[in-house]
Amino acid sequence: MSVKSDHVAGAAFVALGVVIFAVSGDLPFGTLSAPGAGMMPMVVTGLMMLFGVMVMLGARASPPLAHVDWSDRSHALLVVLITGAAVAAYRPLGFLLTMSLLVFLLLVIVERRNALIAAAYSVGLTLFAYWLFGKALRSPLERGVLWF
Amino acid sequence: MQTFDSLLLGFSVALQPGVLWYAFVGCLVGTLVGVLPGIGPLAGISILLPLTYGLDATKAIVMLAGIFYGSQYGGSTTSILMRIPGEASSVMTCIDGNAMAKKGRGGAALCIAAVGSFIAGTLGVLALTVVAPPLAAFALGFGPPEYTALLVLGLIFLAYMSTTSLVRTLLMAAFGVFLGTIGIDVMTGHFRYSFDINELGDGLGIVPVAVGLFGLGEILATPSHQAPRDVLRPRLRELWPTRGEWRASAAPIARGSVLGFLVGIIPGSAHIISSFMSYALEKRLSKRPEEFGHGAVAGVAGPESANNGASTGAFVPMLALGIPTGPVPAVLMAALLIHGVPPGPTLVSDHPDVFWGFVASMYVGNLMLLALNLPLVGLFVNLLRIPYAYLYPLIVMFCVIGVYEVNNSIVDVWIMLVMGVVGYGLKKFSFDAAPLVLGLVISPILEMSLRQSLIMSDGTWAIFLQRPVSVVLLLLSAGLIALSVFGYFSRRRDWRAKLAEEAGEEA
Repeated sequence: MSVKSDHVAGAAFVALGVVIFAVSGDLPFGTLSAPGAGMMPMVVTGLMMLFGVMVMLGARASPPLAHVDWSDRSHALLVVLITGAAVAAYRPLGFLLTMSLLVFLLLVIVERRNALIAAAYSVGLTLFAYWLFGKALRSPLERGVLWF
Repeated sequence: MQTFDSLLLGFSVALQPGVLWYAFVGCLVGTLVGVLPGIGPLAGISILLPLTYGLDATKAIVMLAGIFYGSQYGGSTTSILMRIPGEASSVMTCIDGNAMAKKGRGGAALCIAAVGSFIAGTLGVLALTVVAPPLAAFALGFGPPEYTALLVLGLIFLAYMSTTSLVRTLLMAAFGVFLGTIGIDVMTGHFRYSFDINELGDGLGIVPVAVGLFGLGEILATPSHQAPRDVLRPRLRELWPTRGEWRASAAPIARGSVLGFLVGIIPGSAHIISSFMSYALEKRLSKRPEEFGHGAVAGVAGPESANNGASTGAFVPMLALGIPTGPVPAVLMAALLIHGVPPGPTLVSDHPDVFWGFVASMYVGNLMLLALNLPLVGLFVNLLRIPYAYLYPLIVMFCVIGVYEVNNSIVDVWIMLVMGVVGYGLKKFSFDAAPLVLGLVISPILEMSLRQSLIMSDGTWAIFLQRPVSVVLLLLSAGLIALSVFGYFSRRRDWRAKLAEEAGEEA
């Protein structure tokens, strides 16, 4: 029997439910007349696991796992890594530096664009966003350790 | 007469220069959001939500709602000229709209879509004007059991209407409700699943989750080399439809408007479902169904009217009951709450200027959109020529800024990133993320009303059967479940399966 995509999807939600129950130990379920903080999360987690099992049971109609198209995975991974690095750097480096680098790296590393054009575009775009949010809309933007 | 006086009050608010300006900005941004693939109304509204912090509640909601219904107008442009839906509800417009464009009738298709959207939007606002205030007055008598039953019905209706699968939709909704329980339990003060992260004490915000799932998730799944770039240039000289095309579009616009509004009131991704239903209905009623898929005017007029009617219909439960029918109304509700205006039965009486100003602004907004979409279609087409490789870094940047600015919280941005990965994974396994967001939004109301009901009844479930409104709502829920179970065991394809199959074949 080949593994279908819904076998994996359903199993993932069942596993997630098991993890949630495992970390819910200190939450009181309470009673029906005085429901505790753990009642709702445990009930919906139970339902989520039940529906996960039902998805697995109906997996015959789903495509085989091997047919799921992962051709975009390298693009997705790079975007996540670069965005994650930008999020980590946002407070220390501030808005202007971080956002310029974010756009520049996405263009150069993910899209393989010309570095000069990418640099001009990323700086121009960031300055526009700085004007829009920081000046026109007066939103407080992170200044970072370099104070800009 | 009282409604008329109230509407006059609304126009006195909506026609103030400041409100008019923000309605215009909302409509313009909404059209852009609809036109640009990869960024839907939910991500657009979420990203721009922080921009409204400095505004009063009326201007904020007028602008954000303008983005929502403006995106329905804009979504048709990419559908017709590029055969890619700028917005999920424009999927059906791709089929015949693009076929019309290939025949040199792209201008006429855009005009019919814009006029249909205008008529449906305006009729929808008229219906909203009449329906919402009495519904709000009726809902003033609702207690926790009624709200619990209403929310349960909403979730089950969403699952029933889903064209994918009842189980998958309920699974997503349950996951969303669980995510909504993260944070401090307001009744007992317990920290739930916050893992000593202070920011998680307030729970997961709608904005980071929605932007992650729908904004970043979409970008992760769309490498630039897969983004279509073939844009048909509309012949603007032929923007005005022929007499025959007008005649062919009149009845579908009328039917789409009514159908869309009615479907819009029901929870779920109503504007998407309504366009599917309208397409199927028009094909069923057509004397020449073989024309569908090859440039049938009704295939553009019906779905485009329906998705705009549904967008307006979605405001009825949001404004009158304080219950969102989908992720977009949920974010709009959050915007009202941020401005200290709780949506719900008391909105009409406590904040008449906000309610009626908002309603009146939608009349004005629909006129603006008609004026924007036809003459400026050339400008929007040029926007579509911006390479996607340069467009998505801009969207990623706006996602990060937009989410961070809501609470000045870097944890929110990490949540957005994680939800982007979750959204990517859900897409790979064909799960619809909309019920997840709906579950997240209604989770606090559902939990609170359920627990209050049980405390009121000293732990007896019978309280839900002792209140007439609650009984009716639960019977409706049971009926929908019974219909779904019957359909599953009888192995008969019901109307939803047929609809999904037909839509799949056409697309």
